[in-house]
Amino acid sequence: MITHEFELKLQAYLDGELPALEAAEVEGWLARDQEGQALLAELRNTTKALSAAGEVEVKLPETREFYWSKIAREIERQDREPAAVAPKLSWFAWVQRHLVPVSGVALLACLLAVMLVHSEKSSSQFGETELASEDMGSYTFRDQQQKMTMVWLYDRNDDSQFTDPTAVASMDQE
Amino acid sequence: MKIKDHSAASDEQLVGAAKRGDMRAFEELVARHRDKIYARAFSMMRNEDEAVDLSQEAWVKSWQRLKQFQGESSFGTWMTRIVINLCLDQLRRRKRQRTESIEEMNEESGGVERQMPVVNVNPTEGLERGELRKKIDAALGQLSHEHRTALVLHEFEDMEYKEIARVTGCSIGTVMSRLFYARRKMAVLLANLRTEELK
Repeated sequence: MITHEFELKLQAYLDGELPALEAAEVEGWLARDQEGQALLAELRNTTKALSAAGEVEVKLPETREFYWSKIAREIERQDREPAAVAPKLSWFAWVQRHLVPVSGVALLACLLAVMLVHSEKSSSQFGETELASEDMGSYTFRDQQQKMTMVWLYDRNDDSQFTDPTAVASMDQE
Repeated sequence: MKIKDHSAASDEQLVGAAKRGDMRAFEELVARHRDKIYARAFSMMRNEDEAVDLSQEAWVKSWQRLKQFQGESSFGTWMTRIVINLCLDQLRRRKRQRTESIEEMNEESGGVERQMPVVNVNPTEGLERGELRKKIDAALGQLSHEHRTALVLHEFEDMEYKEIARVTGCSIGTVMSRLFYARRKMAVLLANLRTEELK
């Protein structure tokens, strides 16, 4: 039984595509193997038949004028097209074409970086409330028995909402 | 130098003139080689309309690339390579669209051809050249595109394995396998096709 690898080697031998050493090996093997000889004869007959007969002469089924007119029209069309689509690039156009997209990407990257830094800052402030306003005041009261702390927030400019607790305290003491 | 009589000029002269923009020279080249270019497209595609379209496309491409042609081969050979490449592109596109069939899966592994007994009959015996040509043409028509392409490029374009591998984008092993099974199938088809069937 011939392996496929050897079948291909046999064919390469027939086509003259084997190195001399391998070709000699194949010849030695062929001398002893009838199956190989028969396969080589079949391959050789087919190849001979193809080269002896050549190809069937096929004629173009169109007249010379009609065939050429279609080719000429297409050449004309394609010659016009590239000029409209791709004019020769000036230096400025080259910069525009190649650097503008790059700078756009760089700008986008910068914006993202700024947003990232900003979002980190703002996230670190969560959970803390700072009363930075100068108009806001606060008082704290701690009741040890109730274990309770009370915080008063008040508007320093609005006297109507809260009464100053220190004033209340002093009043009580009086 | 301007060509006065285009029909009397050589291919080299016509190519030179066409490179300088002489459309009349290019038209003469088309007229001279159109049948050969169409025939190659037809042998690969086995379809008249497709072969006409692809051969025309090849001529348009050659006009655009004419400056690249340096005369390393004949103009006819250069043109044939262009049309072969276009046919291969078309076959690849078609293959991508096609669903995988059993036949396709068997292309490399050989399928039925693997089990075929060796044909002992010489198909050229007792046949006139014309008859044999018809027989071969009919048999070629029954091969798959892949097998036919390998056979056409090797037998009619005299391409070596590595050159076929390069233009078809396959490994040399695949090319050898396709060529082997194409030949085996041809042997059976040539033995079985009766001359009466061809008339």
